Amino acid sequence: MREAWITGIGLVSALGPDRETTWRRLLAGESGIGPLTLFDPAAYRTRIAAQVDDASLRLPALPRTVERHASRASRFALSAAAEALADAALPTEQPQVWALVLGGGTAGLFEAEGFVARRLRGGPRVRGLSELIEVPQDAPSDRVAEAFGLTGPRITVTTACSSSTIAVGIAAELVTDGEVPVALTGGADALCRLTYAGFNSLRAVDTEPARPFDRRRKGLSLGEGAALLVIEEAEHARRRGARPYARVLGYGVTNDAFHRTQPEPSGTAWERTIRAALADAAVSEGDVGYINGHGTATEQNDPAECAAYRRVFRDRLAELPVSSIKGALGHCLCAAGGIEAAVAALAIARGTLPPTAGFGEADPACPVDPIPGTGRSASVRVALSSSFAFGGNSGVLVLGSCG
Amino acid sequence: MSRPAVFVLASGAVTAAGTGVPALLQAATDEAWQPEVGLERPDAPPLPVAVCRGFSAREVLPPLVARRLDRPARLLAVAAREALAPLGEPLPWPRERIGVAAATWNAGTSALLEVLRAVFLASPEEAPPAQFPSTVANAPASQLGILEKLGGPNLTVAEKQAGGLRALAEAARMLERGRADAVLACGVDEADWVNAEGYDRLGALRTVGRPGMVLGEGAGVLVLAREPGPAPLAVLAGWGSAGAPAPPHRYPARPEALVDACRGALRRATLAPGDVELAVSLSNGIPALAALELESLQAVLGTHRPAAFSAADRLGEGAFSGTVRALLAAHILAGTATVAWPVPGHLAGAGFRAISGRPRTALVAAAAGGGSAVALVLTAA
Repeated sequence: MREAWITGIGLVSALGPDRETTWRRLLAGESGIGPLTLFDPAAYRTRIAAQVDDASLRLPALPRTVERHASRASRFALSAAAEALADAALPTEQPQVWALVLGGGTAGLFEAEGFVARRLRGGPRVRGLSELIEVPQDAPSDRVAEAFGLTGPRITVTTACSSSTIAVGIAAELVTDGEVPVALTGGADALCRLTYAGFNSLRAVDTEPARPFDRRRKGLSLGEGAALLVIEEAEHARRRGARPYARVLGYGVTNDAFHRTQPEPSGTAWERTIRAALADAAVSEGDVGYINGHGTATEQNDPAECAAYRRVFRDRLAELPVSSIKGALGHCLCAAGGIEAAVAALAIARGTLPPTAGFGEADPACPVDPIPGTGRSASVRVALSSSFAFGGNSGVLVLGSCG
Repeated sequence: MSRPAVFVLASGAVTAAGTGVPALLQAATDEAWQPEVGLERPDAPPLPVAVCRGFSAREVLPPLVARRLDRPARLLAVAAREALAPLGEPLPWPRERIGVAAATWNAGTSALLEVLRAVFLASPEEAPPAQFPSTVANAPASQLGILEKLGGPNLTVAEKQAGGLRALAEAARMLERGRADAVLACGVDEADWVNAEGYDRLGALRTVGRPGMVLGEGAGVLVLAREPGPAPLAVLAGWGSAGAPAPPHRYPARPEALVDACRGALRRATLAPGDVELAVSLSNGIPALAALELESLQAVLGTHRPAAFSAADRLGEGAFSGTVRALLAAHILAGTATVAWPVPGHLAGAGFRAISGRPRTALVAAAAGGGSAVALVLTAA
């Protein structure tokens, strides 16, 4: 039976352009949510976001055309991919038959919005070409494959906020099925006016930084970033002496079949996802020692999510740490699941659980231990990473220690 | 490890040929059939898009349901209802064990434009909340799940022209892994002028004096399951995929990815190149893709020359066109379709022939801008 080990992690977030900066500041309880400067937010109801500092990105050497035309989302993906591959100490000089499975989000939409604005105001003669190249949601996948010479299967999952959770699950499956020895997976997403205006129109965004699981929560904060994970077949990793963070034990994916934007409030739909994940990983509820929750901080998501956990873990939930990193990194939409999987893997490897930034007052509707304040030491053998998306597209990953 | 068979049980489609698989199959019998092409846009000449003119969900969906759905979701819902109808009610599987694996290239663009129109021409606070959920690419598949109460895995993939075949491959993998008992493998695209104008600006669309593709609108659905049922159309015997480094808007210069994808599909199906009796061409009017296809088929098949036909150059290109090409192949293998559309020129010149008799094995491949390639092998059931 093949195992899928996580042997490399790259991160780009509002807390930092790399894995270690993001992890250190996350454990310190810091938040990357602040004033939005990417575009003028004056006309919007909210004016904050967890925005990546573009100037801090550490991009690999790129072909000139990629360097000139890559969108912000692709730059996040390229930076995280370079860090992940370097972390895994895998060679990148030659083309590799590795899989690439990413969660695809807004891709080059931020750049294309510039064209759309000009076109709507100025008619068909306005200029615009290079901003349109990365409109397709798989464009960041293409850029990563192009930059690192990846010739294996290339899959872009686009199931809104569960995109990169499911992507990680599929990548691990390709490895355990023996299709490829190595898969690069995760996701990248960038802020843009569409999502900013859209979530505002739904009144789903808090004017203050998000407070997951908190009684006073009033909505999410939007974020952006990327996580790329190297998933490697265990024997392949052992042969070259690679050091794993954790392994992907399995995943569950289901559909709520309930509502386009609202969660099923009793938790029964998400209970099915969690149970499917546990069954796929062949672990029991009692094995789970930590949950990296979806925790968007919207009024409806958090209670529905906690209801699902309550259905699965029953009284044990009170002592089961469940944290949301969206209070620190914002909701990174299609990249969120990948980032959270990366953080869950780091938590397992380093024996420290990330806190829920922004949490202050407990909510009886969210009866979980959200790890307030700063990171907490804990030895965890099995962790879940949950994502519950628009349209009811739910995904839960099960990660385990390699020891 | 022996792999469980994956059967194609039923199909549904909405294309420029009309609503329903019979309309598509009727068009395919006419060698001269061409859709009416042309998508209006503001302040400029129409763009080459094969639109589903006259499409209405009225006869299939209750008006209140249809009104809730945006156009891509309606296209998909109507195709899915057609595909599910012959399977009976109740369906042979619990609905929470039925999955959806969908692909789209552009679903959500119209809704996106409405939101951005408000942002740029009025105020961000005027952004229509009802439109925003339709801007996400997984909206049609999610809406289908809600409409039909399908609680199994619900996946949407984005892989441009190759998406439809990727969705079929992922559906098959869901079944092999036991994640679902049946999966609706879908492709859906909408006709939107902003998207089409983008490809026109990139020089990819056909114009007077410039070869290129016609974009398409439509939806295709194939119901896959591990049990054959009473009348399976075909067996999805194998699939393969590979990538070649290329910018998102360009096909790769070399055919290796397509070759690897085709060989992977044949290997998984435990078939030899000489077993292929039908090659469903991926040609869409772009000369670079035709050259890529010819090179790859010559590398995979050697001197063997099966029958061939193309469809994307008539129905329009898109993620849905891969689904529809696989649908046509399944019906040809089942003996329920006769396709009179000719062998595309680049393949005819290399010795590929028109369909005669009833093929037993079909190779369906797709290549996307950016370099991803997917291939399927379908066999007679």
